[in-house]
Amino acid sequence: MAMRIRTFEYFIRETFISLRRNGLMSFASISTVALSLLILGLFLVIVLNLNHMISTVESQVQVSIYLQDDLKEKDIRQLGTEISQMPGVTAVNFVDKNEALQKFKKRLGDQQGLLTALGDTNPLPNAFEIKVDKPERVKAVATAASKLKGVEKARFGQEVIEQLFRITRMLRIGGFVLIIFLALAALFIVVNTIRITVFARRKEIGIMKYVGATDWFIRWPFLLEGMLLGFGGSLIAVFFLSQAYSALTNQIYKTLTFLPLIPKYPFLTNVSIVLMIIGTCIGALGSSISLKRFLKV
Amino acid sequence: MIKMIGVSKTYSNGCVALSNISIGIDKGDFVFLVGPSGAGKSTFIKMLFREILPDSGQLFVNGHNVLALSNAEVPFFRRTLGIVFQDYRLLPNRTVHENIAFAMEVIEAPHREVQKQVNYVLDLVGLRGKAREYPAQLSGGEQQRVAIARAIVNKPSLVIADEPTGNLDPDTSWEIMKIFSRINRSGTTVLAATHDKAVVDAMKKRVIAIECGRIVRDDVKGAYGYEN
Repeated sequence: MAMRIRTFEYFIRETFISLRRNGLMSFASISTVALSLLILGLFLVIVLNLNHMISTVESQVQVSIYLQDDLKEKDIRQLGTEISQMPGVTAVNFVDKNEALQKFKKRLGDQQGLLTALGDTNPLPNAFEIKVDKPERVKAVATAASKLKGVEKARFGQEVIEQLFRITRMLRIGGFVLIIFLALAALFIVVNTIRITVFARRKEIGIMKYVGATDWFIRWPFLLEGMLLGFGGSLIAVFFLSQAYSALTNQIYKTLTFLPLIPKYPFLTNVSIVLMIIGTCIGALGSSISLKRFLKV
Repeated sequence: MIKMIGVSKTYSNGCVALSNISIGIDKGDFVFLVGPSGAGKSTFIKMLFREILPDSGQLFVNGHNVLALSNAEVPFFRRTLGIVFQDYRLLPNRTVHENIAFAMEVIEAPHREVQKQVNYVLDLVGLRGKAREYPAQLSGGEQQRVAIARAIVNKPSLVIADEPTGNLDPDTSWEIMKIFSRINRSGTTVLAATHDKAVVDAMKKRVIAIECGRIVRDDVKGAYGYEN
């Protein structure tokens, strides 16, 4: 056992010696890995948040039916009954236009100032907010309701959801291409760093081979070096990503309270773990490629 | 100890390095391998530690069927050998002691064993007093003695030396040979390829002469046999 610990110590010592010896290349590798992972992390965070928003919106199986402004109270009551008799409708709630304005003001919080521009006019219509038993019925109910006399428009989350889906799809494709490109760049630079290390130590490697060191004994320090470069890069990426997300969530909670962001914990921790694993894997893969190509053992 | 049966090697450029060599070297022998440059000495030596594989024939070294070794077995086979080169191949950024200990550390020898054995071989080559110096501070002869110490530190049963005195003056060469002789007396087989007529003639050991890839002479108490 003591022997194993000494061997491990040897690996660690050799790894750090080479990291220091190739300071500039190590720095370049760590930075590239960090940059790639930071961008990967940003895309991950954005896409996951959009998905979160989609499911939040979807879970609100609610249809808003906006009424024409000139309806009489009797007509409104009549409409309410008709709507409540539609299949799948579980609740009908009338929202008076003044009530709606109050609600909106409340949601704006600090930024009520925005509304002063409107003066005394109320741009919001009277509306019914109805609940439906199942999400898949939302669309049918909305279509049926919009055809009723006196109804200006029926709206439900669908449009928002489709918009969000469109954005997520674009981000996924764009992000995927960018991330592949950056991951390859990171891999390339790790391969080169390890190649330089192997070259710097070719004498030692030669002697190790002649005295009968096993291939894995020779490989380990290089593999560790690559993994450490990747891990180091991921730590930097994780740091900046956490800072950015904390700042963002704080800002959002203060101003746009209704935007459903994923809470920081444990979300950020999970993303960080994923990034660290990916970083370490990029490093390990990079040194494996380099060892295969440049270390003839 | 070494057994070659019908070994041939032709390089990819068509150059025939060895053709149909058969030879046996017994345990405890001291053998010189002589011959002009390009005769095949280096190929012969490199085959013994499986740096080069022959095209045909059979080769047994230290009880291993060298041609049948898998890649994973090669390191363990090499641990039974000590190899000394003309250019010493010491690590410049490590002390004498560290250079020798390195050979033991990389095969994961126990720490206490390393300390004991390194001091033992340093005494054997007469460099105990220079253990803390770096290779650049040593003369050529001293550097070669360090290389020999490193080659024998893992207690190999066969020491292979490729032109060990090629870069040294006659007096120093003689000292190096005396060390090999001492190692040989303790039961270790020694095989040295050399151009050094004076040394070969004085030692009166077995001499195998190679020319154009063939063994042209094998004398039990031979002389160099070429005019330098």
